[in-house]
Amino acid sequence: MDDAVHVQDLLVDRGGHPVLRGISFTVPRGSVTGLLGPSGCGKTTLIRAVVGVQVVRAGSVRVLGEPAGSRALRRSVRYMTQAPSIYGDLSVAENARYFARLIGLGPAEAAHAVEQVGLADAADQLVGTLSGGQRTRTSLACALVGRPELLVLDEPTVGLDPVLREELWTTFHRMAADGVTLLVSSHVMDEAGRCDQLLLMREGALLADATPTQIRQRAGSDDLEQAFLRLIRTQGLAA
Amino acid sequence: MTALFASTRAELLRLTKWRVTWLLIAVWLTLNVTFVYVIPYLSYRTGGGGEITDGQSPESLLADMMPTTLAQSLTQGMPLFGGAIMLILGAITVGSGFGWGTWKTVFVQSASRSTAFLGTLVALAVVVVGTVVTTLAVDAGLSVLVAVTEAQPIDWPPATDLAAGVGSGILIFGMWTAAGVLLGTVARSPALAVGLGLVWAMALENLLAAAANLLGGLEPITDVLPGRTAGSLAGSFGGGGTPGVLTILGGGTAGLVLAAYLLAFVVISLTLIRRRDVV
Repeated sequence: MDDAVHVQDLLVDRGGHPVLRGISFTVPRGSVTGLLGPSGCGKTTLIRAVVGVQVVRAGSVRVLGEPAGSRALRRSVRYMTQAPSIYGDLSVAENARYFARLIGLGPAEAAHAVEQVGLADAADQLVGTLSGGQRTRTSLACALVGRPELLVLDEPTVGLDPVLREELWTTFHRMAADGVTLLVSSHVMDEAGRCDQLLLMREGALLADATPTQIRQRAGSDDLEQAFLRLIRTQGLAA
Repeated sequence: MTALFASTRAELLRLTKWRVTWLLIAVWLTLNVTFVYVIPYLSYRTGGGGEITDGQSPESLLADMMPTTLAQSLTQGMPLFGGAIMLILGAITVGSGFGWGTWKTVFVQSASRSTAFLGTLVALAVVVVGTVVTTLAVDAGLSVLVAVTEAQPIDWPPATDLAAGVGSGILIFGMWTAAGVLLGTVARSPALAVGLGLVWAMALENLLAAAANLLGGLEPITDVLPGRTAGSLAGSFGGGGTPGVLTILGGGTAGLVLAAYLLAFVVISLTLIRRRDVV
């Protein structure tokens, strides 16, 4: 099976309201797939369904050939939440070592993950004293520990400066080249062009599942943001 | 088992690297030394009979500081301020996981929610046992120091008494820590859990007991409240007159009730963690 993620007819309600309305897509292994759409369109809910912490009303979500959230996936799937989920009263290195120990790994793997996000110099600093961007990178380091097969990142570049964002995207592609599958959500359209595959969402539905080039061609615009807007209008007229 | 061991190791790393853990243990040891040895010794040297030592005679004060009463020395501060400190530890250990948002990622990466949470409980149990054993060592050292200084014989209590004292200490601290864990789980916040716990431990139980005295007929309920039961267990080693130490229930009954509380707090917490949405 070549797909890391296979979602079929997924329906999710939250608070009695439909949030995901029959979504189907696949994420190829070893790719960087961008999940894009405006705030509130259902990206985080979809991500939660993929990592297996979301109750679904109907449909199926299979990850690396297993049902999402199954025990077999715990070592191979990592999830970085939108808000950094790390201990503010521990240092960067201690946070990474904590998450390494959870999966039976040692300090060497933790140190490697901290290096990967460029925080080796701040390894002994308390997370509570770090900048927002550094906290995000610490959270990412904790998700990277142990070389997962699927890395699900919810808006990992929010609040980061352009240089850091560039560095992180380079890291993502390097990992994908090593065989890791990345599903990265963002509401920043200029990050769409950095992805191998795009899932464009709006109001709980999937507008497009294609490469950036295919989306540009389909919408007749070289600018991905404009292409996205045209797709929305087209869908609106069709509805 | 491997997954539980991994979770326990991770939580032990968190607890040992956490300054709060050491601060709470240091506060407990300081209070224990102050109220069990420093104040009684100063009172003894100044003739005894002071209000703070409940009017005890110098001979009685000295006898309570000797190695032979080690089980009593170990447990007498635990029901009140020791218990409150361990409640805080349990509440912030679990509550901070919600506060920092770490439970959701921990639960994704661990073998199961139960395993991750049990790892936390086992790590807390290690801290509880370590704290009780450290307290015993400190108290033993100080009791010998007092005995040597006052030219008294160094007689140790029977090993069974000492074992019962250590077991009771672990049970009292374990029950309060589990109460903190339950509050941290229910409140999903360290601050609210600590606040609620302290209101219960330091005020509400005593108010309920006072109300029961006034109304009559409610003592069977108030006598087995967590703090008063812990007080009864400590009281079974002596130390009557110390705040929080009671002689309402027998030691065996108090031990069983505390064990039931501990088990209930753990089971309820685990059930909530397994069933509730953490995000």
